[in-house]
Amino acid sequence: MAPNTQFKILSIDTSCDETAAAVTEGKKVLSNIIWSQASLHAKFGGVYPSLAKRMHKERIGWVIEKAIKNSKVKIKNIDSIAVTVGPGLAIALEVGIKKALEFAEAYNKPLIPINHVEGHILSVLAHSRNLKSQISNLKFPALAFVASGGTTQLILVYKIGDYKILAQTSDDSLGEALDKAARMLGLGYPGGAILEKMAKKGNSQTYPLPIPMLGQEDKFVFSYSGLKTAFYKLVEKEKPLNQEKIQNLAASFQDKAFKHAVRIIQKVFDEYPAKEFWFGGGVAANLELKKRLRFICKQKGMKMLIPYSKKLCTDNAAMIGISAYYRFKRKKFLTTRDFDKVDRIPRAKVDKKLPW
Amino acid sequence: MNIKKIKNIKVEEVVDILKSGGLVIMPTETLYGAFVDATNPRAVQKIIKYKNRPFGKPYSVAVENKKMAENYVELNETAKKLYRTFLPGPVTVVSKGLHKVAPGVESENGTLGIRIPNHKLVLSVINSLDKPITATSANASYQKRPYKISDILDNISNTQKSLIDLVVDAGELPNNEPSTVIDTTLDDPIILRQGDVKLKNKVEILSKSEENTKNIAKELWQKYEKYHGKRAIVFALVGPMGSGKTIFTKGLGLAMGVKDDIVSPTYNLEEDYDEGKLHHIDAWRMSSDSELTDLGFAQKISNKNVVAIEWADRVINEIRTYDEEAVIIWVKIRYAKRQNERWLSWGAT
Repeated sequence: MAPNTQFKILSIDTSCDETAAAVTEGKKVLSNIIWSQASLHAKFGGVYPSLAKRMHKERIGWVIEKAIKNSKVKIKNIDSIAVTVGPGLAIALEVGIKKALEFAEAYNKPLIPINHVEGHILSVLAHSRNLKSQISNLKFPALAFVASGGTTQLILVYKIGDYKILAQTSDDSLGEALDKAARMLGLGYPGGAILEKMAKKGNSQTYPLPIPMLGQEDKFVFSYSGLKTAFYKLVEKEKPLNQEKIQNLAASFQDKAFKHAVRIIQKVFDEYPAKEFWFGGGVAANLELKKRLRFICKQKGMKMLIPYSKKLCTDNAAMIGISAYYRFKRKKFLTTRDFDKVDRIPRAKVDKKLPW
Repeated sequence: MNIKKIKNIKVEEVVDILKSGGLVIMPTETLYGAFVDATNPRAVQKIIKYKNRPFGKPYSVAVENKKMAENYVELNETAKKLYRTFLPGPVTVVSKGLHKVAPGVESENGTLGIRIPNHKLVLSVINSLDKPITATSANASYQKRPYKISDILDNISNTQKSLIDLVVDAGELPNNEPSTVIDTTLDDPIILRQGDVKLKNKVEILSKSEENTKNIAKELWQKYEKYHGKRAIVFALVGPMGSGKTIFTKGLGLAMGVKDDIVSPTYNLEEDYDEGKLHHIDAWRMSSDSELTDLGFAQKISNKNVVAIEWADRVINEIRTYDEEAVIIWVKIRYAKRQNERWLSWGAT
């Protein structure tokens, strides 16, 4: 077997909308293929993703093949297969797990089951093929903020593999709230990215909107449903919308949504002296939020890590490969005789150990 | 299988087939129905096989009049009132059964749904047979509502076709809703399925806060809890963005003693709490009814699960497929004047 840092892992993630496969070598991303609903739908003008299409079955084979081809690694040189087992949509997870097991069995490789949220946490540690890792001397505990369509969590990282969820959403996730706000403004779905573009040109102080959980930050709870309701009413009142209104509405919504997130994060900083701040998930692609978080990290003299590319922010398999690398190092993998134990865990929590 | 135009049909011919345990497809004032002698165990086995639904799912029966009904069920005051007002007509009244029909017709709890179809041929057949006949729609379970013969024959297997002895073809029927099903065995009559006949049971309540909304959910749960484990219970939630569908589900979870945190399932499409004690689905991102099918909705219904579906209006057809089997409560939430106020209403529509 190759030395530690050259472990080659083929990883698969089918936790929800995206069908993803990647090949990694240690923390180096050799290929990262994502079959995305979003890009497909953008072409057709913001149609809702369809579950029929979300059936990963037809495209998983192609995605894996492409990931292997782009990585220029021969399948026989792969050391292990990694796969997301949760959290996510049961029928979607199932497809990835089945495929991973097929591969692991056919090529007699160990299997590494991974929690999707851990993938987002550790996505900040990935580096590209051309660059050497710039990350050295990680300091713990680190505070990880994972914000995506499916997750909004603050997680204390005692060390890699040892986590504690400190705060999570009580209703909508941040990514979902941004997508829904975009939808209300007629910007299609998923529209978080377009909302950001619109917001950039707008004035965030045009409309009064409530900052969620104001004064109750010590509860360590994210909540976006109240803001969403207020925004719905505001948008209805402002109709018909025009370009300028849309920009100002987008800016106002984003501002309050982010203020809320930042206030909770600050509160957590006060209570848990974290040494580093890691920010992963689809919302980590948002420049405005990154700017605000970088600012508070700077005030605290803290290092902030974010994934090196947008592709590592949204759901992807390379981050699963990174997590698998650390598990592989700790000898946490399954061999053929344990394969039949592996199952999907739709509500997996990152601070609970996987059963196998 | 013999297909005959209705104008060429003689009542005796149908009666003879039913007497010998045969299965006949005939039009009613709602849909095409599949009929067998409800007192003949062999015939009932045949219809169970034809419908392809598991033993234990009850069948309604058609009778000629109230007098005949009283030989098979116990009619309470509520039931009598419904008979007077609506029958014959597109209403099925569920009462306590007297166990005089073949096994598999009454529900597991011994209740029996009775209907008096407002259709000349069907009534003449029952009169001549002098026995109740099963009154179930002629489609196989989970298939299209049968308004014309091809709706039926195009969607069944050859085995199923071989079970049919006679088809009475009356052309395409007006697209009426199936009968409204009302259960009178409880203190308040409850509508199990809404057809064209509507009872005035719509209530609208003003919720003044999230807490209020949760409490209303709790009260609704207590109202329908008696069906828990006997039928699937579906809370079909309808209301605009931010109106409180997730809040309602949180209240439902509280009332049911669910321990997991209840959150919006928009992204994942589905969350299962406490290992499936409560299923929470969000149809906002769904573009067609088939997506709910793909999530294994049929399985949840047959497992008698409790399901809350947000944006249920987006998948209304799939949900309605089960309105004979499941208790489906449509909960509508709309914005009221003040910021935190909402109007909540519910019913079987």
